[in-house]
Amino acid sequence: MRKTGWKLARRVLVSVPILLVVSFLLFAALRLLPVDPAAMSLPPTATLAEIAEKRHAMGLDRSIPAQYGIWLDEALHGRFGTSISLRRDAGALVANALPATIELAVCAMIIASALGLGGGVLLFYLRGTWVEVVGDLGTILLLSVPDFMWALLLLLVFGVLVPVLPFMGRIDPGLSVPRGSGFLLFDALSAGDFAVLRSALRHLALPALALGMAFAPAIMRVLRSSLIDVYHEDYIRQTRLRGVGEVRILLGHALKNAILPTLTLMGVQFGFLFGGTLLIEVIYGTPGIGNLMVDAVRNADLPVIQAVGLSYCVMVLAISMAIDAMVLMLDPRARAI
Amino acid sequence: MRRPAWARSARVLVGAGLLLAVLICAAAAPWLALHDPAEQDLLAVLQPPSGFAGGSPDYWLGTDSLGRDVWARLVYGARTAVLVAVFSATGAALLGTMLAHAAGYFGGAVDWVISRAVDVWMSFPPVVLSLILMVGLGGGIDKVVLAIILVDWTRFCRVLRSDVVLTARRDYVTAARLAGYSHFQTVLREVLPASLPLIITLISLEMGIAVVVEAILSFVGLGVGATLPAWGQMISDARQNVATSQIGLLLPMAAIFVTVAGFNLLGDGLRRTLDVRATAGRMA
Repeated sequence: MRKTGWKLARRVLVSVPILLVVSFLLFAALRLLPVDPAAMSLPPTATLAEIAEKRHAMGLDRSIPAQYGIWLDEALHGRFGTSISLRRDAGALVANALPATIELAVCAMIIASALGLGGGVLLFYLRGTWVEVVGDLGTILLLSVPDFMWALLLLLVFGVLVPVLPFMGRIDPGLSVPRGSGFLLFDALSAGDFAVLRSALRHLALPALALGMAFAPAIMRVLRSSLIDVYHEDYIRQTRLRGVGEVRILLGHALKNAILPTLTLMGVQFGFLFGGTLLIEVIYGTPGIGNLMVDAVRNADLPVIQAVGLSYCVMVLAISMAIDAMVLMLDPRARAI
Repeated sequence: MRRPAWARSARVLVGAGLLLAVLICAAAAPWLALHDPAEQDLLAVLQPPSGFAGGSPDYWLGTDSLGRDVWARLVYGARTAVLVAVFSATGAALLGTMLAHAAGYFGGAVDWVISRAVDVWMSFPPVVLSLILMVGLGGGIDKVVLAIILVDWTRFCRVLRSDVVLTARRDYVTAARLAGYSHFQTVLREVLPASLPLIITLISLEMGIAVVVEAILSFVGLGVGATLPAWGQMISDARQNVATSQIGLLLPMAAIFVTVAGFNLLGDGLRRTLDVRATAGRMA
């Protein structure tokens, strides 16, 4: 177990330089934009001298590496600059919006895993039948529907044509949000407020399903093909000779090995899934970092773009680390190397 | 004469057929469309297709919220999609393949730098990265292509590098070096051909991805710009009127689905029939 801990610690350490490089690239890219944050944060009547003074005060007359040094120093103290359009601390804006995005992403990952793993096992179990042929072709066609199209389709069907589920925001407007972590499901549960819980779940259903549907087929395909690989191994035949039933071989013996390549793929896929929340939030009006990002982009709100961009990066690294940890726990071979 | 395996695969044929249909629409857009895609008819907004109640024979797939012909915008949108798909997938393939071969063939410090660059890129969701790039680059179809290349080269580099590492260790590569080939000649003549089937497959899949990314960027208003018709724009426009008119939302989505499914079927079919390693495994 000590080796596992050490390996994970090394993963965390490796992600620090990645974050530094990403934050610098992001900073440099945003500074090259033809927008002047100093002029934007002053009233239109400001004179050129006032703008020059403001530029000096904001450090914009210094080199980009020097500016980055200032930003990094501030960021390490938890200050990410003030939003130009909203006049609030960019870090606080992100912290307020992040729970909604994480809640959506986690629910979508649960749905994607359930559909993907379940579908993969089922598709493999029915190998050799017509279901396999149809299912195999079906997954390719399903892969051709990107997440935002699932979002629009589900909204059209279950929100507009057969209006059974809400499709705007996180909760019914009449309900008061319980104070707490910002994770609505968690806050409602801990406050025992089941009306809020029900409303939040109903609001999450369509966006989470849309995102989950988009990522399930890839998981399905990889699990199926790694199950096929695993069944070529001798131990499966030996287990069968011992008289173990087919279902138990599949679920008890083969799945444990076949799930490892699937998990590795899920690490990459769930990183993409987290990025996918951006459009889903725009379509369903979820007040998460995706909407924050799109608004910031439209207003050229550089401190917010920087902070939100970095938080996406942190989340992707965290997801891939969590998946690595799961692989290490499940696979003794990965621990040994 | 027996046709090669890839030409007999149903997936390849169906995929190519779908893409051919899209390509014809794109190439023949000026002749297929009866209206200019930008022409507004404010007296006939949000009309249903002709044949439905309220539809007119003049606009056979109906009109959008500004009274523009949906059919004209669909076929001209195919132009935008095809252009973006071809140029961005080719560009991403060139950049990614070059870096993958440099990393896999030379190894050492070159490999380290390129692999770390891939790590940095991969720590960013592609949608977010392309959005940030579009802010910096500004709108326009050339900028969309550039943004997709700059985001998606890693897809090629990541997959190809491990392939190149294996090929570069082969005896015939050493033999080529001993025979006096330069590094460049060796890579071009001995290493690259081995990964060509994989590259072709990846290009097909990347074209599908590029169509989706272009639609996403146009959807949030950071795409090819308002002057070029694009499927993403049509979706974004139709979304505003989803309660009254659904067909305007479904048509561009169907167009994207058909195109992406075409690329995915073609790519999957080619992967099954072209992949040297898989074929060699089957023969053994």
